[in-house]
This record gives sequence, C-alpha cells and structure tokens, in this order.
Amino acid sequence: MRERITFVQKEGDSIEPSALKVDGSGLSGPEVKAVREDRLTFALDELPAELKALLEGVNQLHIRWVSPIAYEAVSPLLARLPPGFHLFYTPGSDTSINPCPLLNKAFGTVSCSSPAESFTTLPTDRFTHSTTHQFYQPLDSLSAFTQFAKSQLCPPSSPRSCGTRLNSLTKASQLDISYDAISHTLRLTSLWPYGPQSLSATLLSPSIRTEVGIISTANPKTLEPHEIGISGLLTVLGQSTAPSPTLFSFPSRHRDAASSFTSKFLSPTGLHPTLQLSISSPSPPSKSPNPSTCRLHGYFTLPKTIFPDRHQLSDPLFLSSKNLSSVRYITPNIDLEAPEYVTPTWGSSLLLELSPPPSQGSQGSGDSKGEEWTAQIPLHLRYLSPSLTGYRTAEVPYPALFWACTAEEGTKFPTNPFEKDKVGYDGLFGERTVFWHLTPRPGDGTNGRLMNEVKVPVLDLTKADWVNALTGVVVALGFGWVVVKLLGVAFAGGGKKVDKQKKTQ
Amino acid sequence: MTKPSATGQPRPPGASVSPTPSLLTTFFDRPLPLYLSAALFRLIFLLYGLWQDANSPVKYTDIDYLVFTDAARFVSQGQSPMSERHTATPLSSPGSSSQPPTSGKVLFAIADLVAGWLLEKVLARSMDGPRARKFAAIWLLNPMVATISTRGSSEGLLGVLVMALLWAVLERRVTLAGLLLGFGVHFKIYPFIYAPAIIWWMDNERMNPNKTKPTKPPQSTSITTRIINFITPARIQLALISLATFSGLNIAMYLIYGPPFLQHTYLHHVTRIDHRHNFSPYNTQLYLSSSLPHVSSSSPPTFQIEKLAFLPQLLLSTILIPLVLAKKSLPTAMLAQTFAFVTFNKVCTSQYFLWYMVLLPLYLPQSNFLKNKRFGLAALVLWVVSQGLWLQQGFELEFLGKSTFLPGLWLASLGFFGVNCWILGVIIGDVGSQ
Repeated sequence: MRERITFVQKEGDSIEPSALKVDGSGLSGPEVKAVREDRLTFALDELPAELKALLEGVNQLHIRWVSPIAYEAVSPLLARLPPGFHLFYTPGSDTSINPCPLLNKAFGTVSCSSPAESFTTLPTDRFTHSTTHQFYQPLDSLSAFTQFAKSQLCPPSSPRSCGTRLNSLTKASQLDISYDAISHTLRLTSLWPYGPQSLSATLLSPSIRTEVGIISTANPKTLEPHEIGISGLLTVLGQSTAPSPTLFSFPSRHRDAASSFTSKFLSPTGLHPTLQLSISSPSPPSKSPNPSTCRLHGYFTLPKTIFPDRHQLSDPLFLSSKNLSSVRYITPNIDLEAPEYVTPTWGSSLLLELSPPPSQGSQGSGDSKGEEWTAQIPLHLRYLSPSLTGYRTAEVPYPALFWACTAEEGTKFPTNPFEKDKVGYDGLFGERTVFWHLTPRPGDGTNGRLMNEVKVPVLDLTKADWVNALTGVVVALGFGWVVVKLLGVAFAGGGKKVDKQKKTQ
Repeated sequence: MTKPSATGQPRPPGASVSPTPSLLTTFFDRPLPLYLSAALFRLIFLLYGLWQDANSPVKYTDIDYLVFTDAARFVSQGQSPMSERHTATPLSSPGSSSQPPTSGKVLFAIADLVAGWLLEKVLARSMDGPRARKFAAIWLLNPMVATISTRGSSEGLLGVLVMALLWAVLERRVTLAGLLLGFGVHFKIYPFIYAPAIIWWMDNERMNPNKTKPTKPPQSTSITTRIINFITPARIQLALISLATFSGLNIAMYLIYGPPFLQHTYLHHVTRIDHRHNFSPYNTQLYLSSSLPHVSSSSPPTFQIEKLAFLPQLLLSTILIPLVLAKKSLPTAMLAQTFAFVTFNKVCTSQYFLWYMVLLPLYLPQSNFLKNKRFGLAALVLWVVSQGLWLQQGFELEFLGKSTFLPGLWLASLGFFGVNCWILGVIIGDVGSQ
C-alpha cells in the first residue's frame, strides 16, 4: 500500500519550506487555498476478500465519479467528465463475473444488474486502450460509498482518524477507482475542490510509504508547448526531515481552454426536449500550438430516461441548423421505443462535433459576451412510470465540452503522475489528441449543480382508477354494436329495416 | 359472365353517369388523364420532398424511411438488416447501395398507381369505365395517400398487394391469389385476416358457375355433407399455395438471417409493449399495466382488460365479418375486416388507416354515405373531428409537455374508437341492405 497526498495551488502561489513542520509521523503547515488530491494504491492482497475475488476475474475496471456541484479545476488536474457515476469495464476470461452486486453495495443506488443487461459495449477496434463496456448513472453524493469504505477499511480497532478521513470523502468533488490486470493494483484517487485546505498529512502506518506534495503550475523557459511545468515541495513522510524543492514537466493530454459554457433545456420541453449549450467563445484555445487542428466536441452520457436518435442526427443540413457538425460516436442499438421502466441498459453516450460560427473578434478566446453562441441537441424522452402528480423529473448531466486538437507528429504522451485516463471520450480519439476543456457553469436556478432537469409528463395515477374498467366497457359496447349489426345482416330483414328507417328520416 | 377489359373501355353493364358532358366527365372518360395526373401529383410531391430535404432542416422524408433504406443497404451489402428499429421482414427493404435513397419512394409511388389501376379493374366489374375511374380517383388523387408513400412509408406496398389479391380472387386466379396471400402475410402479417373471407367466398357455385348443377342442395343436408361440400379443390389449392409461399419465404429468411429474423419480424409484435400514445382505445391501459409492476406504491394488478384485446379484434375480423359478409360482398367484407382489425387493434396510428383506405372506393358506390350526402358528410366530419380532438391532446402532451394522458388523451381515444365502431356498423348494415 502506498499513499500520495498532493496540494495543488494555483499558478504563482507557493509556500516557503520553512512554513512546514515535518516530523516522524507527519507534516503540518498553515491553511492554503488549493485542491487536495489523495491517492491510495493497493496491491491485490491488501484488499478485502470480496473485492479481491471480484478483481481477480476482471481485466479492467475504472470508476470515475464526478460531483454535480460545479468546481474549479486547477492545472494539471484538468480532465473533465459529465457529473455522475461512470464505470468503464473489461471483463476477464470468465465473462460470467458480475461486478454489479458489489457496486450496488458500495455506492448505494447504482442500478445495474449485470454487465450483459445493464452495460453498453464500446468500440474496441479503434484504439486498443479503451475498455469494452460502459455504464453510467447520475449519482449526487458519495455518502453511501463513505459508509461502505469505512466498514471495509476501518475495523473497530482502528484509530478514529481512519473514519474521520473517510468521512471527508462526502465533500470530495471527484473519485477515481482504477484496476487493471497488468499492474494488479487498485488505485483510489479522491479530489477535493479548490478552497481553503489545511496543510496536514499523517502517516497511516510506518509500513505505508506516504508522499506529500505541495505544488503549482510553473512555466520554465524550457517548457514544450504540449507540456505542463510543475514546481513545489515534496516530502516522504517518515523518511525526509524537510521538504525538498522540485521542478519538473510532462506532456499532458488535458488542458484548460479558458472558455466556458452553460447547458439548459429549451422550453417547452414536451417529449422531445432540446438541450441548448451556450458557449462563451467560438475560437479554439489560443494557447494551443496548432489551433487549426482543433475541433470542438461535446461528450454526453445520457441516462436511459432520454436518448438521441442517430437517424435524426445524420443529416448535415439539420445538424448545421443546430450548430452541430457530426456524430463522432453514438452508442449502437439504442431502443427508440421502449419505456424507461423496461430498459435494462443504463442509457447511451454520444460524442458530437460542434460547429462554431466563424469568429468575428480577435483570436483571443476570452469570455467576451459578444462572442457567445449556442448549439442545440435534439433529444427524446422515454415514457416513465406513472406518478401521483402526472409528472416526473428526469436529470441529464452537463456534457464535457472540449476542443480536441492534434499534437504534432511524433509527440508522445506517456502516462504522467497526474494523468486521468479512461474518461470515456479519450478512447474515441487517437493517441496524439489533446483535450482543451471548457469550464461548465451552472445555469440559473440549478443551485450550482451541473445537471439539467426536465419535467416529464407521465400518467397521473390518481386519475387512473377507472381506466381498466371503462376501457373494457367501451370496447365491449363497440364490439356489441358491431355484432348487433352483423346479426341484423345475418338474419336478413332486421338490418334492412333499420337502414330503411334511417333513410326515410 | 362478361369480363370487362383491363381498361374497362366498352359496354358498361352497370349504372352509367349523367350524360351531360363536363370537364369532370371528360377527365374520367379515358384512363390517361387520371393516371397521368396521379403520377404527376406524386412526382410533384416527390420533387418537393427532395427539395425540402435538401434545403430545410425540417425533413419531408419520414424518419422511418432512413431506417428502411439503412436496412436496404445492409441487405445489399449481404448483411442483416435487423436494427433497433427495423421491425419487418428483410423483404420489405428493397433497393441496393447503388440506388439513391429516392428509389424506395419511387417504388412506393408506383405501387400506389398500380393499386389504383387494380382498383379500377375491380370496380369496372360492376360499372362502366369512367365511373370506375371516378371511384379509383379517391385513392389515386388522395393527397394523404400520395404524401404517405412519397414520404417513404412502405404501407403503400400493402395497398397494391391487397388489391392484387382481391382482383386475383375475383378473377378466379387461385394460384396467383395463394401466392399473393402468402407473400402478403409474410410481408406484414395482418393480411391473414383475408384468408377466411376468401376461403368462405370461394364456394363451388362461384368457382365453377357453369358446372354447378341446377339442382340446389336440399335444405336438410347433414353436417358431414356440408363439411365435404365445403372442402373444394379451389379452397385446398388456395390454402396449400398460400401456406407454402408463406412458409417458404420464412424458411428462406430464417436460413439467411437466422433467429434475429424471427425476433424482428414476428416475435417483436408479441413482446412489444406499445405504450407510446396512439389512437388505440387500449393505449392508456397498456401504458398503465406495463408500468404497474415498476411502480412501488401501486396495488397488485388485478385482471387487465388488454389481455383480452385480441378477442373482439380477431372474432370480428377473422370470423364474424367473413361469415356474414364475405358471400354478400367480398370487397366490402374485406374493408369491414380491415376496419375492425385497425379499430380494435392494440396499436393504431394514422398509417394504418391506409390499410382500409385502399378498399374504401369499392364500398362507397353502394354506401349510405354516398347515397345520403349529408349523412356521409356528417360521418366524415365526426371521424375527422374525433381524430382532431385526440391530435390536440397528443400535441399538448408531445410538444408542450402537458400530462394529458388522463383523462384527455384517453377519452379522446375512446371517442375516436366509438366513432369508428359506428362507421363500421353502418358499413356492415349497408351490405345487408344491398
């Protein structure tokens, strides 16, 4: 087991080594504004039996949870996903292994029954690094997972700090859990949003190597355009007696585009709501070394309540009228008829290339209001189960919006210490693609959440008492009337008389 | 029996139209003006559709047509057409990849015209050419029919199949009728309802009018002789040929496409829920009952009426109507069967109306609706208004997001059902008073 704790300050912020106290059991210092990232790495043998048994039969399992509460990303932790619970999964040789029961137990309300029923399959022919299956569902908080983690990791004999540390997970903005059969290690990474953090870290146990970093982005002159520079202080708890300054750089696939967007449903929504993205700038990121290769993309994970229709999204004229350019990926075989309550798969993912209008202003991609533009994504609601009010609410997460730019030939992106991979869309692009992310901004009346709500009309159960009976009566009456007319014709005379009477009237 | 020639030119045996020459009568005097205008009509619709598709983000072409042409492309590439939406036999996906997507629509439009031509031939058996063409025009110049086929709906193919079937039967071409029936059922299942009517109609007196002995069978025939009399060579021939065609096509499709063919062509209709709002009176109940197991607060489901929905539907369309009407008027019996099948079906959309619309011109000449124009107009208004009420509720639901399922949409569908039942009753009564 290893641990790494990183405090990421904003570019230009730093802390004097003398402000930190380092002793045999930990590190402490003043409160700073930073993002905190904790990463725990477990060997398979160190895991609880149930989890170990599951992972032994799995090839790849990656959980990416993102809080619906808007947060500020700080370089280099810039990768973004739609908020919610994402799972990217590749089964091992025994495909009957089912991770769902454990997922339900660990995260509470994850409604998956089995990979075959609930997961969608991903294309594996394009790029070998992607997983074969995907699952997603909106998930507001990690409170269930916190309880589960405590029950697994903090036995009654453990110190109180164990539970306290895990409790803080409820305030995290991101959680990544990654396992693959090659490394045979499980990596658990949690991230707390930018804000006041007290610089403190304690050694969990002398046997656990614990590294603490306090870093911020730096721009040394030797930095290549596709690289991010880092400077800061590193301390290995229990080994070093003082933090050591460090300066390093690495190529990064996730960058900040320095523009933003909001997303909302246009009203009236009806059963075919349109999601509108309002994007602050039509220009590619000015910092990109090769802006001409950049294309704006939206990656959507749509829960099963709502779906895109690939036939509707296939016409160039229709797409361009919505400021869209093309569908780059859409989950295959989306059922276009089935109601939500009998749809076993989680939903669908959609990668759209957007088509910004030509930029009028300067090349700068500032948040100037004049350059804001919109794109519309036509979607369709499934029927939801009846309710006592005649309506239900469907929640759709904000998409991840990014400019995908191609780095120059020969550029390599080896795994960096802050790399976040398996984010869904990365598997749909080539190895040289750099993602420049737009910051999602919550819209008005969303309580700071990056979720769009849509009111779905459903059958009102309070008015449904007579449906069964009265439908039966009306059908019986209609049937009876037709049979009477038939009898009239069969036993000739009756029918004729009636008709003649009618005629004379 | 005199058979009028194909074009229905000479010697009208039936009633003739008023002799005063007018533009309208000269229009129907010869076939060319009618068919030319029907073809032109569709060509204009087709070209307009192409123009709108190319220039407007709002498409003229039905979205299902894209599914259809996708499936056709798969077939032409030697792959399976079974996709998420394609729920029909692979044979309903014509064309090849080299053809532009318009080819399907052209095919449907031509099918419309052929259906109209067959309609005229059937009508001309009992009336003169101009009058037959006048009634065929109800189909040929019907904007709804032209729109549906040029938007790319394959329902129009059904029209030509059914009309060809009826024509073959009336012409005593039993082999052809068997082939068409078997193919029709494979193509879209529902034409199986015509089998009992045709079989019942095909008695010995009709099939061999000159051979029939003048001595009518005595009143008191035993059941066994009746059964023996029922089994005629023509009936056996029709049954065997249609069954062979139907199973032959199914086996071929199964060999090519395997089990997915069964799922998409047939089993789909058994397992589907059909909950999305449509004209059927069962619709709200289907939504309710399909969702009840998934609503935690609901009481355990009691007896559900839609489980018996097939009973009135099949009783009327495959037994009662054929028995009572087929021997009196086969075309009207088939119209009434189709009308009953669509009205009592668990799903009912406006495309299904095309199924009976093709048979309507065969009934109208003897109908009360036409004899009493006011009565006919009132029926038409009732049908349109009750449909309009439903559409208004449907619009509020679909586009404004109002929960109109109950009571609005439900009552509107029951109202529309009531009007349809009444019209069906009038059609049946008209056969009796002929």
